[in-house]
Amino acid sequence: MTEAQIIRQACDGNGTAVRALYERYSPRVFAVVRRIAGDDDLAQDYAQEAWIRAIRALPTFRGDARFSTWLHRIAVNSALQALRKADTRTKREAPMPEAVPVAAVEGDALLEDRLERAMDQLPDGMRQVLTLHDVEGYTHEEIGEALGVTAGTSKSQLFKARAKMRELLRPTLAPEIEGENGVEAWGI
Amino acid sequence: MGHLSTESLARIVSDAARPEEREHLDSCPSCRAELRALREQTEALGALPDLRPPTGDWEALEARLVSEGLVRTHGHAFRRFGLRSFGWLQAAAALILFVGGTALGTAWTRHGPGGGLGQMGPPSGLELVPVGGSIQPVSSLAEAADVVNLAERQYIDALVQYRQLLDAQGEPSLIGDPTARFAALEGIVAAGRAAVQQAPADPFVNGVLVSALAEREAILRNASLTRGDGVF
Repeated sequence: MTEAQIIRQACDGNGTAVRALYERYSPRVFAVVRRIAGDDDLAQDYAQEAWIRAIRALPTFRGDARFSTWLHRIAVNSALQALRKADTRTKREAPMPEAVPVAAVEGDALLEDRLERAMDQLPDGMRQVLTLHDVEGYTHEEIGEALGVTAGTSKSQLFKARAKMRELLRPTLAPEIEGENGVEAWGI
Repeated sequence: MGHLSTESLARIVSDAARPEEREHLDSCPSCRAELRALREQTEALGALPDLRPPTGDWEALEARLVSEGLVRTHGHAFRRFGLRSFGWLQAAAALILFVGGTALGTAWTRHGPGGGLGQMGPPSGLELVPVGGSIQPVSSLAEAADVVNLAERQYIDALVQYRQLLDAQGEPSLIGDPTARFAALEGIVAAGRAAVQQAPADPFVNGVLVSALAEREAILRNASLTRGDGVF
């Protein structure tokens, strides 16, 4: 069955088709929402909200863009809107947790774990810009539109976020990967 | 010139270095190492994998989808705001019953001795022919209401089966265009308004109009929400 057929059946309220879309795209949706939210519980709520919005809006999907792109955009906007509403959330200044409970799909688990935990330590604005630019590949113009800021502000937040990440990751480096003149190079 | 700040180096990761920064980088191994580390960090972020949702996520989502009427269960529930929502089908079924009832009432008015709907039993000169011959005679309003409800459910079930067969055979959606559906609902609303003017106190007629208005509003709201999401 093609994706277009699955989408049409999901549009008609076919639970099996909706499940098929979920199975295919839920890791993508959860990843971007998790990184924007910086919190597992919030991420689950936001991801569910994104799916509800997407399934509700499915009749408006005309196939002009790829379904994954359309869904991804809904997930990002849904998470950003939810975060704006939940602005009472306290900043995370607590020590890094022992482990990230969510499971990566593939890759270098240790490195990814360190990166994810460092991102969780960033202030919300920095984390959102870093996620959208360096992880998701958005342009500063797209980020500015999504966050309601200028492209210049997005750039500024990105550079601060990268620097903060560098600072957060520096203490975790192994001595054998120190760089020139004693400066620790962040080896991969 | 002193060492470049980490923030400046973070900028040089994606933007060109200024001349004085380039000059410094050419002569400073420490800053070059720091810039390399920042570039590796950025590349690693871009290569982060997707994340599996926690266990039980689908079950929670499914429960919500069902509760919001976005997926059907046992073939009877429909998308709330979808093209074949239960509410829309109810409105469609009600409209059919309304049209049939109006024709019946008109016939009674023309041919019946009392000329009113309050008259019990078929008026003289009008022969009621049960559709398909399957409707049993009734002797009370309560029984008549049950028969109407049963017919409505059978109609909806038949429509569900029709849609499922269409899907199974890969037929294109007949009412898959929200714009066309909105226009169709506009027609129902217009007919419902005219009917309400003729029978303003009739709960059934009002029900048809309210259902159509609610469904039309749902389409508008849904379109508005998705526009707000930047979907369009």
